[in-house]
Amino acid sequence: MLKRKMAFALACLMSVGLLAGCQKPSTSTTTKPSDNTPKTLKIWSFTDEVKTYALAYQKEHPEVKVEYTMIPMTNGEFQTKLKSTLQSGDVPDVVSLEISFVKEYVESTYLADISDLSPLTKDMKTYQYTLDIGSSQGKLKALSYQATPGAMFYRRSLAKKYLGTDDPVQVQAMVSDMNKFKDVAKKIKDASSGDTYMVASTGDFANLYFANRQKPWVENDKLVIDPKVNDLLDMAKEFRQNGYEAQATQWQEGWFAGMNDSLVDPATKKAKQVFSYLLPTWGLPYVLMQNGIPKDNADKTAKVGKDTTGDWACISGPMPYFWGGTYVGAIKNAKNLDTAKDFIKFMTLNETTLKNWATGVYNNAYLKAIDNTIGDTLGQGPGDFVSSQKVVDSIVSSFDNSDASKFIGGQNSYKAFQAAAPSINAKLIQASDDAIQRALNDPMANYASGKGTKEETIKAFKEAVKNALPDVKVD
Amino acid sequence: MSVSDVNIKRRKGKLEKNYYGYLFTAPFIIGFLLFSFYPLIYTFYLSITNTTLMSETSKIVGLDNFKQLFDDKFFMQSLRNTWKIWLLNFIPQIGIAMLLSIWFTNNRLKMKGVGIFRAIYYLPNLLMPATIAVLFFNFFSMYGPVNQLFSQSTDYFRSTGWTQGIVIFVQWWMWFGSTLIVLMAGMTSISPSYYESATVDGASAAQMFTKITLPLLKPILVYTLVTSLVGGMQMFDIPFMLTDGRGSPSGSIMTMNILMYMKFSSTKGHIGAAASVGVVIFIITCVCAFAIVRLLRDKDPEGTGVSSKVKSRELKKGAAGV
Repeated sequence: MLKRKMAFALACLMSVGLLAGCQKPSTSTTTKPSDNTPKTLKIWSFTDEVKTYALAYQKEHPEVKVEYTMIPMTNGEFQTKLKSTLQSGDVPDVVSLEISFVKEYVESTYLADISDLSPLTKDMKTYQYTLDIGSSQGKLKALSYQATPGAMFYRRSLAKKYLGTDDPVQVQAMVSDMNKFKDVAKKIKDASSGDTYMVASTGDFANLYFANRQKPWVENDKLVIDPKVNDLLDMAKEFRQNGYEAQATQWQEGWFAGMNDSLVDPATKKAKQVFSYLLPTWGLPYVLMQNGIPKDNADKTAKVGKDTTGDWACISGPMPYFWGGTYVGAIKNAKNLDTAKDFIKFMTLNETTLKNWATGVYNNAYLKAIDNTIGDTLGQGPGDFVSSQKVVDSIVSSFDNSDASKFIGGQNSYKAFQAAAPSINAKLIQASDDAIQRALNDPMANYASGKGTKEETIKAFKEAVKNALPDVKVD
Repeated sequence: MSVSDVNIKRRKGKLEKNYYGYLFTAPFIIGFLLFSFYPLIYTFYLSITNTTLMSETSKIVGLDNFKQLFDDKFFMQSLRNTWKIWLLNFIPQIGIAMLLSIWFTNNRLKMKGVGIFRAIYYLPNLLMPATIAVLFFNFFSMYGPVNQLFSQSTDYFRSTGWTQGIVIFVQWWMWFGSTLIVLMAGMTSISPSYYESATVDGASAAQMFTKITLPLLKPILVYTLVTSLVGGMQMFDIPFMLTDGRGSPSGSIMTMNILMYMKFSSTKGHIGAAASVGVVIFIITCVCAFAIVRLLRDKDPEGTGVSSKVKSRELKKGAAGV
C-alpha cells in the first residue's frame, strides 16, 4: 500500500514540477518594492564602454543596483538576443544600440519616448546628426555620448621613408581622393618592394564609399545600388590584385598585427608593415592606442611587435565619412523607466560625465575604487570624441598635450574632429544598412580575389539582400 | 470471510482502475504537448504569417513565405549544401565506423586496447562545436598555422571547396566515434553462437558479415541513419561559427538551419519567414525518415532478421543437442 501511495505522490509531484515551469513568475511583482529596497537598473550592451558609465553612475547613485550584461555583436548575437527578449517581458531597462541597427529600434514601438530630454540637448549643443539618428517622427528615443567623424591614421616613419615627408598637410594632399590614394599605395608598394601595404584589408575603405553614396540603400522598399558600390568593387579588386593590402580581415589577428609591426607573411615569414588605417574618432583610443604596443605572443612567453606610439599622424583622408557610434535608449515597458532615463541623461547629457569620459578620468584605478572585481583592463583612456559640442569646445585645448596626442606625434586630433563633426549628415542612415552592407561583404571579397565577373558579384549581392531582408524588393 | 479475503477483494478493486498507466505517462504527455507539439503547431501557424520581432502586430499572408523561399537562390543552395555536406560526411562516417567496429568486436582478432581507441575516437564529440569551429578557423586562417607549413599561402575560407571540405571533415571527425560506439554495441549484442556455427560450416569473413552481422544490425543501422539524417538536416553550429555566420564564401556552407537563423536574426527578425524554413526542414526530414524506415523494414515475419538459412541450422543444432 505504502509503495503505491508513494508512487502516486511521486507521479503527482512530477506533473506539478512540469506545470510549475509554465507558470508566469508573477510572485515577485505582487510585493511592491518599498523605498529602501534598492532599485535595479538592468543595462545591456555589446562592449565594455557602457560598463564604465554604469560604474560611474553606480558611484553617484549607491541606492541603485546596476546590473550590467555584455553580449558581443560579432555575428549579431546581441541583436538576436535583444530582439527575442523584447516580447518576452523580462526586458532590460537600458540598451545600447549600435549605429548599424539603432534605427530599427528607434522606428519601432519598443523604445520609450525621451523627448523631455530635448531641451537639455540644446543646452549641451548635442551634434544634430546624432539627434536625427536617435529620433523618429519627431520623438527622441535614443541618444549617443559620442560623435564619430572619420579620419585616416598613417605611420610617420613609413611616410618619410617612402613618400619623402611625414607632414600631415602634405600627406593629406597626396591622398585627397581615392585615385590619389591608390597612386600612393602603388608608390609605397614599389618603394618598399612589397613589404609595406597601404591598408591592412579591403574592408578598411568600404565605409568611405558607403558614407558618400547619393541615395539610401532602400527607396520605396526597393534596393538601390549606388554607383559608389561599383567604385568600391573596382577599388577593392585593384588593391587585392596588386598587393596593396595585407589580405587581413578587419577586427582579426592580422589586421591588429599591422598596428604594432608584428605582421608576418605566413608563407615567406617576412615582416610586413601597414602604412595606414582608416578609422574614425574612436579608432584612436580603442583600436590604435591599444594595439600599437607590444603584445604577448601566443604562449605568453615573450612580447611581439614594437611600440609605435608617436609614429602616427592623423589626417582627414580621401573622403569625408563617419563610422559607428553607440546609442542608448530606454525600453518602454522597463521596470525602472525613471532610473533608466536618469542614467541616459547622466551618460549623454551631463557635462561632467562627458568631460571625465573624454579626458580619461574614468581610468582603471577610478573604476576599481568603485568595484574591485572588474580586473585590470577596464578603463577609459582619453581621446574619445563626445557628442556635445559644448563639452568638445571646452576640452579641445587639453588635447594639445595628452596621451592621445603623444600617440599621433603631438598632433591634436580633437581639433580636426571638432572641425569635421558639425558637417556630418545622417540622411542616408536606414534601419537595414547593416544587413545590406554585411550582404555585400562576401560577394565583394570574392570579386576582389578575382572570382567571378562584376555582373555575377552584383547578382550575388542582390540575392544575399533578398535572403537577408524578406521585405526589400530586389530586381 | 477471513481478513485476507477482504484484502484481495480490495486490491482487486484498485487494480481494475487502469488510470495508473495514464497517470504515470502524464508527465511525458504533458511535457510533449507543451514543449514539442504546441511549438510544432505554432511553427506551422507562424509560417503563414508575416510576424516579425520588431512589430507587435502581424497578419496571415498565406503561402507567401514559401513562395518567396522557393524563389530564393540561397534557399535552393542551402538545400543542396545541407544534403551534400551530410552525405559526404555520413558515408565515410558509417563506413569507417563499421570497419573499426568489426575489428574491435572480432573474436579472432581479439584486439587489445579497444576501450582506449573507442574513447579517443569519441573524444571530439565531447568538445563544444563552437570551440572546434574556432579552432579550425584559426588553423586555416590567412595568418594561421596551416599556411605557415607551405611556401604558398592559400586563403582557405575564400575557396568554396576547401571550406565545404573543412566542414565535412569536422562533421566526420566529430561524429564517427559516436557512430562507432552504437555500432559496436549492436555487434556485441549479436549472439556469438551464430558466428561459431558459421565458422564450423566454413563461412568466410565476408559471408559472415553480409549474412549475419548486417541483417542483425539492421535496426541499429536504421536508427543511426535516421538520427544522423535528423542531425544532418539541422546542421548549424560548425558551419555557422566557421566563417561569418552567413555561409560565406559564396554561400557554400549555408545550411538550411543557418538560413533559418538568418531570417530570424535579420534586421526586423522575420520569424514568419524563418518558420517557413523550419516547416520545410520538418517536411523533408519526416519524408526521408519514413522512407528509410519503410525501405529497410524487416520483411522477416518472425522479426528476428537472421537469414533463414542460419536460423534453420541453428534449430537443427539445437535439436541435435537435445
